[in-house]
Amino acid sequence: MVSWSGRRKVWTIILFIAPTLIGILLFNIYPIIYNVFISFTNRNQYHPNPDCSQTFTGIIEPSCWPMFKESSGVSEPYRIQDPPFANYSALIGDLFSGPGMLAMGKLFLLIIPLIIANQINKILDRQLTRPLPSYLVWLGALVVSALLAWLLDIKTVLDTLQKSGDFFVVVFRTILFVILTVPINYIFGMVLALVLNSNYIKGRTFFRAVMIIPWAASTMFIIMSLVWQFFFREQGTVNQIMKVFNIDPVRWLSDPTWAFAIILLVNLWFSFPFCFNIILGALQSISADQYEAADVDGASYWQQLINITLPLIRPAIVPAIVLSAIGAGGFQMFGTVWAITAGGPTRGAGMPGATELVMVYAYKQVFQVRAYALAGAFAVIIFIFLFIATLYSLRITRITKGAYE
Amino acid sequence: MSKKIWTLLSLLLVASMMLVACTPTAEEPVATEEMVAPAEPVTITIWHQWSGDYETAIKAIFDAYTVANPNVTIVLEKPENVSDALQVAIPAGEGPDIIGWANDQIGAQALVGNIADLGTLGVTMDELTSTYEPAAVNGVVWQDKIWALPESQEGIALVYNTAMASAEDFPSDPLDFADLLAKAEAFQAANPGKFLVCNQALGNPDAYHAAPVWFGFGVPEYVDDQGVAYFNTPEALTAANWLVEFSAFAPAETSHEICKTMLVEGQAAAWWTGPWAIADLETAGMDYAILPMGRPFVGIKTLMITSNAVDRGSAEVALDIMRFFTNAENQTTMALANKTIPANTAALNNAQVQALESIAGFGASLNLGIPMANTPFAGAQWGPVGDATTAIWTGAQTPEEALAAAQAAMDEAIATMK
Repeated sequence: MVSWSGRRKVWTIILFIAPTLIGILLFNIYPIIYNVFISFTNRNQYHPNPDCSQTFTGIIEPSCWPMFKESSGVSEPYRIQDPPFANYSALIGDLFSGPGMLAMGKLFLLIIPLIIANQINKILDRQLTRPLPSYLVWLGALVVSALLAWLLDIKTVLDTLQKSGDFFVVVFRTILFVILTVPINYIFGMVLALVLNSNYIKGRTFFRAVMIIPWAASTMFIIMSLVWQFFFREQGTVNQIMKVFNIDPVRWLSDPTWAFAIILLVNLWFSFPFCFNIILGALQSISADQYEAADVDGASYWQQLINITLPLIRPAIVPAIVLSAIGAGGFQMFGTVWAITAGGPTRGAGMPGATELVMVYAYKQVFQVRAYALAGAFAVIIFIFLFIATLYSLRITRITKGAYE
Repeated sequence: MSKKIWTLLSLLLVASMMLVACTPTAEEPVATEEMVAPAEPVTITIWHQWSGDYETAIKAIFDAYTVANPNVTIVLEKPENVSDALQVAIPAGEGPDIIGWANDQIGAQALVGNIADLGTLGVTMDELTSTYEPAAVNGVVWQDKIWALPESQEGIALVYNTAMASAEDFPSDPLDFADLLAKAEAFQAANPGKFLVCNQALGNPDAYHAAPVWFGFGVPEYVDDQGVAYFNTPEALTAANWLVEFSAFAPAETSHEICKTMLVEGQAAAWWTGPWAIADLETAGMDYAILPMGRPFVGIKTLMITSNAVDRGSAEVALDIMRFFTNAENQTTMALANKTIPANTAALNNAQVQALESIAGFGASLNLGIPMANTPFAGAQWGPVGDATTAIWTGAQTPEEALAAAQAAMDEAIATMK
């Protein structure tokens, strides 16, 4: 009989978990640590090589490892910045200066009515009969926010924050992109799902299959994005069609607002099939009995939608919305934007372009400007930001809780 | 016994066929210099950015080399982004033996250690100065070391469709930008919906193709060898104001492909481009002529040897291939096929080459041009100048704002280096 001694048990456990542990350390933990290390250095195109004689650099820098060739370049090696957090300071230092903090405070004030509205709705939900419908509470909060924006001169506030550096501009623009693209995609997907879930529509299977086409095409998104780019070029399809109707051509991709709108449109085309499928699946899981009972009670289509459909599909679509907002179709959007505008149109030298979202900015910093250390610091800040946003979204949406708890 | 005789006969037959195959014809590129003949099979990988018909003529030269040197195999590869690919390949001991690249990359690549000092491989300044043009020699020397062999000199000029325009439609003085503006306006008035000139830097961030305008107005350089930027000069402001006026008479959005299509399809009369575009225009069957306009960047197309080729022991063969490729005979062939301006002095002075219209057109443009720096400071100019030009072109910034922002961005980048 084999004894199950403490040491043997420990070794068995270690051996079983070692492959996974090594994988996590190598592919998850090491890159994060390496990136954090680089973010404290002055590594850029002029100081690209490490000083392998430094103990820590020799351990963490892959090009110092024996299997790789040591550089024979004539540049000075990169070193730790003086002060070490200089890259972080360059990115967000001005945001935390006096005027920056004041402007951020004013911006935060605009959100307070919305937070209060959320709390009021929670309290009202607990009452047997609501004195006010929730949309009126939200509407009131939005009016107060708008009033505050006017009182606080929000344009000046935003100007102050934009002058603080690229970081605010890029992150603010990306948040704006997410705030616009996610609801547009889901509302469009929901409308189509509601239509194609109706028994009155003939050939529903065919139309449902057609709706999948953009999703399937997203596997070759670069080509599809270039097709969209061609549509909106100055000499492109859209302007040619407009010309037939004697409408002056528009410089879609040279105008910052239009370029941003086109990115939203193309992302809608790529993303709505996903939203459509999620919502259609959720709709089909709703029992017909509920609607029959509502019909008997004399509920209108709108009442059924608000009181039966939306609450019952909520557990399915809220996690999908959160994932869309954080993922490659939202905050981490890169491919579509890069293929269509490459972050442009430019607003001038040393400034992020009009569609330069977080990932596009990071890519440009690394592969065009070759500001490796600055891009590393940027990535660390974005990681912290996304980590907090994810935790908060998990808390407010309760994704991890049971769907019908 | 008979088996041995058959074997011997077979070997002789194969050897004779190979010798016949190696015999150069009058039309093919020829190997006239003494070559390094490796005893063992060697594969030389070349990373390049050549394309289309331009690449076909280049490939013929390498094919001629491998025929003359059966032990050498030359593999041509075209990575999406040479710089990024090198960054991964070189430390891993992988990647090319030779890189075909412009000379402005020399400083940055030498800093990282991706390319080898050719002086250590036996290339001397005497060899360079006796073989190549002085401007080309300057372009491959940095910090008193030789980092590449020059292939051709290049710069941009106005290539116009002779079916749409004549020399009278363009300024007779290549530095008369007021005349170019007036002629662009007159051309558009006479040909509604069409443009006199398409420049891929006007409407698309591209500091290289914008250079004839900036330098034509007297900006000495974007950034000089000492790291001084020149976008805060009165000349830069004059050029910027001209761009604002000219934007009314030129396509708003451009790229290499858009300009090529506009020229071939008759939507634009001229394309501000370089010798690399000529092969495609000839394939399209377009009759063209070339005129100088402004002061372009004079770049040197070069071949560099990677530090990995030295480590692998293939540098000697790689250098031999580079010498073969850049010799007078092969560069004459290249110039005749691709309308390039050879860096090799003997090829440039060849009567047939001198008779080429492209030599007259692009040559006149290069004579006015500004040499492209090969120091690492050159890396600071591309983004800011391209963005400033586009911001002025689209009206996103006033000339003053755009120039100030570009100057600040270049100064900041240079300060990072210093």
